[in-house]
Amino acid sequence: MTAPAPADVPILQTASSLVVLAADTYSSLQALAFGGGPSAPAPLRDLLAAALDELARARTDLATATRQAGGRAQTNADPRYAPVVEQALPTVRGPGDVVGLALTLEDVLAQTLVSDVVDLSAPEVRQTVAGHAAAAARRKALLLTFQSLLSTGRAELVASPPDLAALPPAAGTVGFPDVLFPTEKASPATEGAVR
Amino acid sequence: MKRVSSASLRAASMKRISSEPRRAASMTALPRRRFLLGLGALAGAGALAACSNEAPAGAPPAEAPPAPPATTTAAAPTYTGEAALVALGAAVSALAGELLGEAASGAGQGRYGAVPGAVAAYLSGAAAQHVAHAEAWNRLLTVAGRPAVDGAPLTVEPALRGRLDAARAPVDLLGLAADLTGTVTATVTAITGQVTEASAVALAAGVGPVAAMHGASADFLLGRPPTAPDDPTAGALGPDALTV
Repeated sequence: MTAPAPADVPILQTASSLVVLAADTYSSLQALAFGGGPSAPAPLRDLLAAALDELARARTDLATATRQAGGRAQTNADPRYAPVVEQALPTVRGPGDVVGLALTLEDVLAQTLVSDVVDLSAPEVRQTVAGHAAAAARRKALLLTFQSLLSTGRAELVASPPDLAALPPAAGTVGFPDVLFPTEKASPATEGAVR
Repeated sequence: MKRVSSASLRAASMKRISSEPRRAASMTALPRRRFLLGLGALAGAGALAACSNEAPAGAPPAEAPPAPPATTTAAAPTYTGEAALVALGAAVSALAGELLGEAASGAGQGRYGAVPGAVAAYLSGAAAQHVAHAEAWNRLLTVAGRPAVDGAPLTVEPALRGRLDAARAPVDLLGLAADLTGTVTATVTAITGQVTEASAVALAAGVGPVAAMHGASADFLLGRPPTAPDDPTAGALGPDALTV
């Protein structure tokens, strides 16, 4: 087994900071009636709950890898995006806003994790991070689908199970827009490093 | 207000990307080149997808020549070491591309009753991306002087093809798609931690999440819970699943 190298520390800390921010944001969104409450579409409510579980695992795994690499685990939210989220949260007015904010964060998180897989030195950590990138990508796919359906003005289409006959054909493909997962929005490794 | 807020978040992201290199210059160049290599291998994905939907070959004609005599000497595997992992990526992506492409073709021919447009679009869209992934994996092999993987030579292929043959309704196709894309995701995630060659790492990093998105979309259409697996490599195929 190859231990993570010290050069991996800022990469892992930045990934952690995005995970912390995403989890904090999901917690806030879950507390809203139209996010995790009774007036939320069931699939959105389920996604928020599942995301919190998955992000908790990511936080633990990334903290462990950071310590193995000789660093201190990052427990603070990403400093660049945290103020933006703080500003955005009071403007969330319905499920579409919940999806929009979550989608933006998930896209940055997923792209950062995918980029990290390429840059990390230890194979075991690469695999762990790849697993969390896949989980973030799953959430992004669902959020893209929900966003597309909510934009039609027919919130009832976001149901579990959905009425397949009523779904627009694009609902089948809107969740995977890229052949290879992009990385142009990946956060730089220094962004969330512990200073 | 909501759009402004989300847009500002995106704008912050884009501004940062354009003004601040992700790593020191000497480190950024390599990942970008790796991704470009993978992207270059994806050229012509649509045409490849169209070629992937052939029906499986039928039984050989009666006058077919007899099979060669059995030999007690096992043939050496075509792929060894890291090449076997890349070949595995090619094969599992090809398998998903073939089966989902055939499902899409069958849906178009009415084989599964009334197939909703979203389901048909899902099948053909996901198939095209898997075929493109297989081509990218094969490009890595041929660039390294190895033969491209022909088809989907995997031990699991007959059973999965049997599921497609037994499918009678759109929900059967979606169930197969969810399981198949789960296998692809787990396999590629495992490959990510096993390969060391830079281009293979980069391709695995870019392919795995896309396969995961296919799985999430299938799960939504099926009405399944949106939960990612606790173990992201559970159900992964290994190189011993290759039959070449």
